[in-house]
Order: sequence, then structure tokens, then C-alpha cells
Amino acid sequence: MNLADLIVMAVVYTNMISPTVAGKYLSYFLFFSPGITITALFAAAFMIGREINREFRRSLSHYLLSLPFSRRELAFGRVLSGGVRGMVYMAPLLVTTTFVTWFFTGKLPSPLEMILVVFALFLVSIGTSGLSITIALSTKSFEKFVTARGVIYYVLFFCSSVFYPLDFIRQLGRDGTLPQPLVFIAEINPLSSGADITRSFLLGYPSFSPLMLLNVALFAAIFVLTATFAYLKIVQE
Amino acid sequence: MLVAERDIKMFLHYKFVLILRALWFLAQIALFGLIVNRMVKEEVQVVTGGNYFYFYAAGIVVTLLYSMTVFIGYDIYEEADHGVTEYLLSLPVSRRELVLGRAIGGGLRSFLYVAPLMFVVLLLIGITDPFRILIALTALFLFAFGVAGMSITLAMSIKSHDRFDILLGVLNAFIVRLSTTMYPVAFMPPQYASMAQFNPLTFAADIFRWGAGLEAVLLTSPFVSVFGIVVFFSVFTFLGIVFYEKRLEGGGWR
Repeated sequence: MNLADLIVMAVVYTNMISPTVAGKYLSYFLFFSPGITITALFAAAFMIGREINREFRRSLSHYLLSLPFSRRELAFGRVLSGGVRGMVYMAPLLVTTTFVTWFFTGKLPSPLEMILVVFALFLVSIGTSGLSITIALSTKSFEKFVTARGVIYYVLFFCSSVFYPLDFIRQLGRDGTLPQPLVFIAEINPLSSGADITRSFLLGYPSFSPLMLLNVALFAAIFVLTATFAYLKIVQE
Repeated sequence: MLVAERDIKMFLHYKFVLILRALWFLAQIALFGLIVNRMVKEEVQVVTGGNYFYFYAAGIVVTLLYSMTVFIGYDIYEEADHGVTEYLLSLPVSRRELVLGRAIGGGLRSFLYVAPLMFVVLLLIGITDPFRILIALTALFLFAFGVAGMSITLAMSIKSHDRFDILLGVLNAFIVRLSTTMYPVAFMPPQYASMAQFNPLTFAADIFRWGAGLEAVLLTSPFVSVFGIVVFFSVFTFLGIVFYEKRLEGGGWR
């Protein structure tokens, strides 16, 4: 699906999007490519919550408790595994995006910049995994879990700079087209920071700001800790 | 009709899918559609009859109808997993009635689910000609029927849940993006445009837009759209019957 987004949707929208919106990124195609990488990472890392919710509903967690490692290792391991999954799934797309941006711009990030991009994406991934697990453990009702998961998933997904530049979202907020709460969500959304960090090193715009890294680090820290403690608590009930 | 009724009732058990899809639809319309409407060139607004948002909203409804209808294929695998298939085979209905009932049920349930959302979009765009809308909705029902037949055909021909999941994922990814549900053909590269012209989702999107009065954006005339949908529905209903009859018995599910 992500490849179809890149090969088809991005190409068509490049012909449709106004140059005043995407001009700073050279084209909408180049703007959107890092966004697709983030969507892949987000979708893959988010899936862990569904599995954990299913395990608890079917009492499969009892088997996990019988395994020869500590509760804390089990809890943290689940969060970490969701994050690693996101990274593994996203890796080929990141390579593709890097190649595509190099092909069109001649710009290749330095090894240090690439490490920073990967590190930032890892923080987004592990934070997403933690968020998903936290939602999964917040309710025993499958319907409530699915609804909460869906709301958060779509708000984070569509209210970010994945599909549209953050400065354009802000402009829509000033115009009154978009409510200010949604603009705020887009600004603090870790997907926005992750996508913009990737763009800043692959495309040179927007300029990298340490606040972007702080945003994803805080997101990861909060939800890794919340998910780990929630898992520890629930698994022993 | 009993088989179709059973499929409709089963659908109501998938509350989480219904809720998620409704949320997806709302997010697409209220966020993505509104924002991208402001991002597109003036030329796009002209080509889409003055309002890209209406064009997009109408297309997303068709995409939703398609994605809800293909679900019938997963039901078939669930039934095979839980031994329900053998129960269905023991019922006093012919194989042909069974598959027709599945296709009708699969199409009807998703149509009933999407109908209120279609109505919301029609209210947004503005209802101009109820007779046209009736024709469009009839064509969309046949489209849903055809999609159900396609899903059943694929499920029965593959008989492997994982492979079906992958194939459907790939098919869905490209069939939606290589159509005019999200963007007019005028902005597609020629290779994509030539594929979009024969895509059943394009026919469905065009007939719904025609029904909604968005005539400026149509790729095909309503007659061609209806004809395309009828051919699609006929081919996949026929194939669905053939595959279902021949492959339902004998197990072999993976």
C-alpha cells in the first residue's frame, strides 16, 4: 500500500498541488516521500496493541508469564518489539526515499545525519508501540478498544505534516479553515516531527530544530514508561 | 434470500470494522479532503467542476463501498476455519443459490452500511435530481454485487487465507489509486490514465458523481459507466458461481 502511495498517489498529487504550497520542497512528490516512510512505521508499530489486547482477552498472557524472564523484561520487551517491528517494516521505504531524494536533488545526508534520522524514527516507532499498548490495556472491551484505537490512529495520521506541510496547516489555522486545536495537535504530533526531521536532512527543508527531537523523545519516554507499567500491572491481575 | 439475510446479520457482528470505517470516512472528509482542497491548483478546481472537495467526497464514498464489500472474502475463510462451510453445504439449498446468496448478501450489507454516508455526501453536494440519484444508487448496488463476486472468486480460487490477504491488499492498493475516486484523470500520467479508464471504481465513481450532479468531472458518460458496471458484475458473478460450486467442497483450506 505504501509503495502504491509513492508510485501512484504521490505522482498524481504532484501534478495537482499548487507550487506555492510544495515549492520549498521542490515538488510534492519529494515532500510526500518521507511522509510515506513515517506512515509505514506508524502503521507497523501500532499493530502490537491489537495483539496484546487479544492476548489479554484470551488469557494467552498467562503463558507468557510462565516463560523464564522477569515481568519487567517481558513488559519492556513487548514495547521494544513493537518499535523494532516498525523500524524493520519502514527500513526499505527509508532506503527508497533516500534514493529518490538523492536522485532528484543530488543531496545525500551525511552518516551522522542519517544516524540522527534513524534514531528519531526509532523514537517515533517505540513511542507509537507504547501508545498502542497503553490503549490496548486501558479497556477489556474489544469494541471500546477498537474505537479508541481508531480515533487516535486517524487523528494522529491525518492531523500531521505527513500529507501537508506544517506551515500550510498553520496558515489554515490563521484563516479559520482548520480549528486551532487541530493545528496544535499537528504541531505537537510526533509523526509531524519524525517526518520533518527526515525532510530536513533529506531535502534541506524545514530546518532541523532540536525541538523536533525533543518532541519525539518525550513522546517515546512518556508512552514507553506508561505502557511498561500498565503491562506490568495488568499482566499480574 | 435466507443466505443473503444471514450475511447481512453476520455483518452487524463486525461492529469494530463498521466503527473504524466510519471514522476513516470522517477523517478523510473532514481532514484530508478539506485541507487538500486548499492545496490544489486553481486548474484542479476548474476541472472538478469548481469544487475539488465535492469531487473527492463523492469518490471516497465509492472507495468505502468497495472496501466494505470485499470483506465477504474474509468471511469465507472464517467459515472454513470454524467448520461452518460444511454446515452451509448441508443446507437444503443448491450451490448456485448459496453463492448467489453470498454475493447478494455481501453487496447488500455494505450498500446498506454506506447508504447513510452516501446520503450525507449528497446533502453536502446538494440533491438536484432524485431520479438520477436513484439510477446511480441502483448502479452502485450492482457494483457492490460485482465486488462481492470478485472477492468470493478470489477467495475460492486461492483457498489460502494469507495469500488471499496479500493479494487483496495489493489489489486494493492499486485498484483504488488507479481510479478517479481521489483525483481526475486529467492529472494522471498517461499510463495510469489508460488503466483508470477501465477500472470499475472509475465507473462507480463517475455514476455516483453523475447522480450527484457533478457532470463536469465525468470521464465516461453515464451509459458507459452503467454498462461497465453491468459487465463487471456479470463477469464476477458468473466466475464466483463457477469457482464457488467447483471448489467449495473437498477442503484444502490453508
